[in-house]
Amino acid sequence: MKSYTTRAVAFVASAALLALTACSAGSSTSGGPSAGGDQSLSLGLVAEPASLDFTTTDGAAIPQALLGNVYESLVKQDESGKIVPALAKSWTVSPDRKTYTFDLVDNAKFSNDKPFTAADAVFSINRVKTAWTTSLKAAMDVVQEAKALSPTQLQVTLTKPSNGWLFRMTTRIGAMFSETGVSALATEPIGTGPYKFSKWNRGDSIVLQRNDAYWGTKPYFQQITLKYFKDPTALNNALLTGTINVITTVQAPEALTQFTSNEKYQVIEGTTNGEVLLSFNNSKPVFRDIRTRQAIRQAIDHKALLDTCFAGRGKLIGSMVPPTDPWYEDLTGVAPYDLAKAKSLLQASGAAGATLRLRLPTLPYATSCGQVVKSQLEQAGLKVQIDQLEFPAAWLTTVLKNADYDMSIIAHVEPRDLGSVFSPTYYTRYNDPELQQLLAAADAGDEKAQLDNMRKAGRRLSEQAASDWLFLLPNLIVADKNLTGLPQNAITENFDLSRLARS
Amino acid sequence: MRRLNPSLVAGGVIVGVIVATALLSFVWTPYDATFVDPSVRLATPSWAHWFGTDKFGRDVLSQIMVGSRTTLFVGVVAVGVAAVIGVPLGVLAAMTPRWPSELIMRTNDLLLAFPALLLAIMFGAVFGASTLTAMVAIGIASVPSFARVIRSGALQVMRTEYVLAARAAGRKPFPIALRHVLPNVTSLVTVQASVSFAIAVLAEAALSFLGYGTPPPTPSWGRMLQESQEFLFSAPRLAVFPGIAIALAVLGFNLLGDGLRDRFDPKLEDRR
Repeated sequence: MKSYTTRAVAFVASAALLALTACSAGSSTSGGPSAGGDQSLSLGLVAEPASLDFTTTDGAAIPQALLGNVYESLVKQDESGKIVPALAKSWTVSPDRKTYTFDLVDNAKFSNDKPFTAADAVFSINRVKTAWTTSLKAAMDVVQEAKALSPTQLQVTLTKPSNGWLFRMTTRIGAMFSETGVSALATEPIGTGPYKFSKWNRGDSIVLQRNDAYWGTKPYFQQITLKYFKDPTALNNALLTGTINVITTVQAPEALTQFTSNEKYQVIEGTTNGEVLLSFNNSKPVFRDIRTRQAIRQAIDHKALLDTCFAGRGKLIGSMVPPTDPWYEDLTGVAPYDLAKAKSLLQASGAAGATLRLRLPTLPYATSCGQVVKSQLEQAGLKVQIDQLEFPAAWLTTVLKNADYDMSIIAHVEPRDLGSVFSPTYYTRYNDPELQQLLAAADAGDEKAQLDNMRKAGRRLSEQAASDWLFLLPNLIVADKNLTGLPQNAITENFDLSRLARS
Repeated sequence: MRRLNPSLVAGGVIVGVIVATALLSFVWTPYDATFVDPSVRLATPSWAHWFGTDKFGRDVLSQIMVGSRTTLFVGVVAVGVAAVIGVPLGVLAAMTPRWPSELIMRTNDLLLAFPALLLAIMFGAVFGASTLTAMVAIGIASVPSFARVIRSGALQVMRTEYVLAARAAGRKPFPIALRHVLPNVTSLVTVQASVSFAIAVLAEAALSFLGYGTPPPTPSWGRMLQESQEFLFSAPRLAVFPGIAIALAVLGFNLLGDGLRDRFDPKLEDRR
């Protein structure tokens, strides 16, 4: 009886929605190649890139689609976080830890048919310093000189020992470009990867074709379509109707039960690097007082927030370090939920009653969490005004570039991004000489010094309340049952398509 | 004494209830409509929460009550914009010679051919999603229907003997429009306003559903529907209540419009 009632109610609800959904269905389901062919695969993603050029445009969506798939780097990270060979077969480090010598593969070719040589590697490394405009380029500042010893041998000299540099070379900073292939990076990426860029249907999808001249193991799928969905329900429905084969990141976790109970699908749940920040604009007078920042952290009931806006999936973290990093420690106890304490801190700092602008990107998790944050901060005595900014274009310009905001909510998915996110020049405008010292000591020191100092840096950020860390995004993937090669944990900034296959 | 018109009564009652709810929500709602209370999230209807709670633990009834404000506000402003622009245009088209009249009406037709939602989405994309952009866009999209209806009414009035007499007596067009034409098309304006109001309610809901209308956390029926999508299988009631509210509001204003038309149009009265 109960199920009949439920079904009847569901039917009425569907009918009520039908007229309105009819307006939105077109954009998300039309145009794409149908999923399910053995040689082609469609993946559903959330945020479409603003451009295909990650040398000048911020945003995680570009390396997610292109790095490791179209572009390759000298070294890459495996799923456990270990640095392993890619375009460099092997490398040696000098005893003073300042000179790296890479032996490169000799049979790699760019998709414009030019061979990949050490000269291209020198060009790519130098170009980060001269032509890149994103803040991540700072990771290459430590390079003194890059030199081609032979077509397959590259020598890089650093100004000082750096633990971070080789790791950064696994990220977009390390992508290898062809000297003749950088004229139209925003629309025509050219790399050595297992896939070639084919076309970009703006607002809808990016299509990649298998690179049949690839130097390594050729991928299984001939064609891969990355389809972008703004609406989390449309993304779920696309899988249910067979428009896509994979939901790369589930954005409507409440609706996950419809897949877990269906034998056609597999659900993968792991962890990521995606720290969801309630970021503060530390250059604003209201945030200069540490008590205000601490009050905001203590006014938020993080467990309740996670339950409410992400169905309890994900992990609570108290700082910018995810559990997959070696220097992780549980810092959730640094700012426990304590409404009375938050109120008294706000009174003491004089911020009680202040109005803060919470400028949210139009991303599902940000919209949801923003409403919880507003309600909880208002209970502590702050006024919160929510603005929604179109993601990526409007949010990147207003918040990330111009820092015209008080607070925002965004997931930072770049690996080991503690130093780059909390810097005076980034949108957090966080200027803390002590943190910079810890990071410098971690980068220059030996393995133990790195571990100790990074741990201290993580703790310092949390104690200084440089921002609030709402939670760590889970890696939630739903895919066709017979698909293999999907990552359990998403700890790199790319989505590796080359390992995908059908069993 | 005239017989009571059932459409008018039913429409009047429904609209009256919605207006009363909106007014009441200014002074009282069962709970703060935007208060997030995770301890009662997704509660089923009960004495404490008559319509249950949503995924944030917000009281659905309180949201529907406050949402009626948004709906009415959007309706009033959108219809206001449409009437303020559309009525003078219609009268002007009826009173001017052939070519200016043609110019006005063909421009009008151009705008009429443009889908209202598309226009509103364009406005949202350019000026940012907000209740204001939604209201203005819906208003502008409703201008052509006002202009067209008012022009036909005004043309009839222009052929009446008293207008001909006034013109023969040398009265200027502006006083004629103000004194003779406008008072005689008021009933048409009222009926058209009522019908446009229903369209505006639906358009606001659709825009908020698509994320181009009222931004969160201000309660809006359309966005409540959007947020309920995730729960269509696990808690379908979340879609039912705002769905019923929208349907009732649209029905109410349409019935009111029908009733008013019957009341003002003596020809229809005779036919019954």
